[in-house]
Amino acid sequence: MDDSTVSPARRRFFLTILLGGVGAALAGLTAWPFWTYLSPSKGAGAGEKVKVPREKVPIGQAHFFTFQGHPAVVIQPSAGKYIALTAVCTHLGCIVKWEPDKEDFLCPCHGGRYSPDGQVTGGPPPKPLESYPVALQGDQVVIG
Amino acid sequence: MKRLKPLLWAGIGLFLLLLAVPGPVLAAETSCLQCHGAQSGRFGEPVPLWRQSIHAANGISCHNCHGGDPTVMSMDAMSPERGFRGVPAKTDIPDFCGRCHIGVKEDYLQSAHGKALGKGGPQCVTCHSNHKVVAASPALINPQSCTRCHDYGRAADIKAAVTSTDQMIGGISDDLAGLHHLGIDVKEMQGKLFSLRNEFHRLFHEVDAEKVRQQTADFQQRLGQIRQQVTVIQERLDQRKLVGGGVIALLVLAGVLAALIRKNYHEEERAGE
Amino acid sequence: MSWHKRVIDWVELRLGIRDILAQNLTEYLLPRNTNVWYTLGAVLLTLFALQFLTGILLLVHYVPDSNEAFKSVNRIMNEIPFGWLIRYLHVVGSNMIVIALLLHMFSVLFMKSYYRPREVTWLSGFGLFNLGLALCLTGYLLPWSQLSFWATTVATDAAGAVPVVGDQLVRFLRGGPMVSDTTLGRFFALHVMGLPLLFGLLVGLHLFCVRRAGISSPPFGSDYRLWEPKDRFRHQHHPGGIPFFPNYATKDTAVICFFLAALLTVVIFAPTIFIPPDALEPANPFTTPAHIKPEWYFLWAYQTLKIFPSKFLGLAAQGALMTFLALLPFIDRGPERRPAQRPIFVTCYVLGVLILIGLSIWGHYS
Repeated sequence: MDDSTVSPARRRFFLTILLGGVGAALAGLTAWPFWTYLSPSKGAGAGEKVKVPREKVPIGQAHFFTFQGHPAVVIQPSAGKYIALTAVCTHLGCIVKWEPDKEDFLCPCHGGRYSPDGQVTGGPPPKPLESYPVALQGDQVVIG
Repeated sequence: MKRLKPLLWAGIGLFLLLLAVPGPVLAAETSCLQCHGAQSGRFGEPVPLWRQSIHAANGISCHNCHGGDPTVMSMDAMSPERGFRGVPAKTDIPDFCGRCHIGVKEDYLQSAHGKALGKGGPQCVTCHSNHKVVAASPALINPQSCTRCHDYGRAADIKAAVTSTDQMIGGISDDLAGLHHLGIDVKEMQGKLFSLRNEFHRLFHEVDAEKVRQQTADFQQRLGQIRQQVTVIQERLDQRKLVGGGVIALLVLAGVLAALIRKNYHEEERAGE
Repeated sequence: MSWHKRVIDWVELRLGIRDILAQNLTEYLLPRNTNVWYTLGAVLLTLFALQFLTGILLLVHYVPDSNEAFKSVNRIMNEIPFGWLIRYLHVVGSNMIVIALLLHMFSVLFMKSYYRPREVTWLSGFGLFNLGLALCLTGYLLPWSQLSFWATTVATDAAGAVPVVGDQLVRFLRGGPMVSDTTLGRFFALHVMGLPLLFGLLVGLHLFCVRRAGISSPPFGSDYRLWEPKDRFRHQHHPGGIPFFPNYATKDTAVICFFLAALLTVVIFAPTIFIPPDALEPANPFTTPAHIKPEWYFLWAYQTLKIFPSKFLGLAAQGALMTFLALLPFIDRGPERRPAQRPIFVTCYVLGVLILIGLSIWGHYS
């Protein structure tokens, strides 16, 4: 055997390292599309306003709807005044209920309570409910 | 028990094979086509002509223009009570076709052609024929057709005015069809193009070359917007091909490396023998 | 001590895997002269895994309802990032699998690897072939395009040729008189759960048979020995052979890489080879498109039916052929495996392949 050439074992080691490198590259190139495919879309319609017909929100009642991918609520505590808030409780994420007789929000999971404008009035929630800008357009309430 | 197993598999194989076999299927035809299709002479002529038309390709059949009831298998299908309109008189043809092609009828009636209706002027069928109606194109403006009534000069003029825009429309239409075949959602763009094309074709019917030239720039600009959208998609597709080509090359490289390692072991075995 | 040695030691103490790894990798000796056709099994395993994976991903966004199916596929192709890639991999992958299945089967036939003691391997493999075709057939309906709808109508119509119970059979397959939502429901259940489950079980049996009985030596070259009947079970050893790992593992890897490269080439540069224009229009139960044809791998069956004057005869002929193939190990009993010494078989084989190709081409143009 010619001693100046690389031994088969060395050559094989080099080839294996190369194969490993190419394999890693291919694995990455495969994982990327699969990961992106499964990832949630970046808030489809983030910034999109939602219109709710006025008759759906009687005085003293609440109307629940979807806003930017999560549940939200709009109430009319007094004639002509509309408030829109997120309906996701800031404690652990349950959806709050509106109590027309008590005129407040009650979270059924751990008894958190919020005033009509979203301030915490009782229970474990650490933060108030986030509010959204509301405007009136004819017979529609525009949130966002 | 061993004898049953191959029979079981054979049975399953047979059953699955039976699934693979097709049989003839036909969609039902209207009574108009069934009767007139079987006739020879002038009552049978329209059927093979219509089959080659763009109306047939889009599901527009006899009763859509002539009225009547396509589900009744007797002469009663053609009674006036069932809405049958029969063959229109020459001067009624623009109204007949204009029931659907409203915009074109409007422009035609304002044109020199429309004003000559009933006085030797052309109506829809003169250029478009009645049953073998094909997709409109500048090819309909040609010496044989137009010189039946006047010299070709002004016809050639307006043909020149519409040709470049029409070619743009044709080019975008072909590209969109290609993208559609690749599974790209082109419905909105095809809708916009279709609407632009109709607007442009209806404009032609005023047979006013100057008006066509004035409006060409606007049309071409709007077509340009669609063309821009198509280009963006095509660039995205080219990018996919580039990256894809790279991954394919990497795979081939991996295969070659594995084969070389295998060969290496092979040589080692042989050296060791 | 290196970290991976430490991990293997930990598992070894609890499960004794070093033995198993050695038996199946480094000490698993195979004949020296196997050819490249022996790698097709590994190729098929990889392609099926890919099909399974892309299928699950498609399942995340696909909706099996006749009003939503086509739109959901459109969304996957246009709105979901890389949805087009997953979908095309699945479509082209299924065709590539049929090609690999045929190559695998033809090489087994040619080398008479179905010969005893490998009859169960052959039968499970033949079952896998039919299940693969059934998966193709049921999957075809799911996009709910014109092609899906009418190709399924035509395919299920065939069952009507069975005497006595034909019509009931067609209604049973379709879940009603015509292809409809109920058909979509049952084809979806079959394609996504029923058939893959059966398939997985059969693959397990097939692999077990291959490993348990041992790999057959290729019937070529000076190492060929006539098989002698045994009085009890004996795993076929190859004492002078070479280990599966790393020798055949690298060979399998190389061929798998080339197949994947071919798959990806079609997906990137010619994805619509297997997608005719009818596949891009939503299903319309009232309009049959002209020239509906089944996929290329069913064209031979389609053309056979057109040749035979009676539908039943045509079906019976195909059924007979498939039965014959399934039972081949019990029909072809001679121990001679070298193709050069089996002139009748090789003649029938070559004729059969040519007729298959001829019928398919004819079916394409008819």
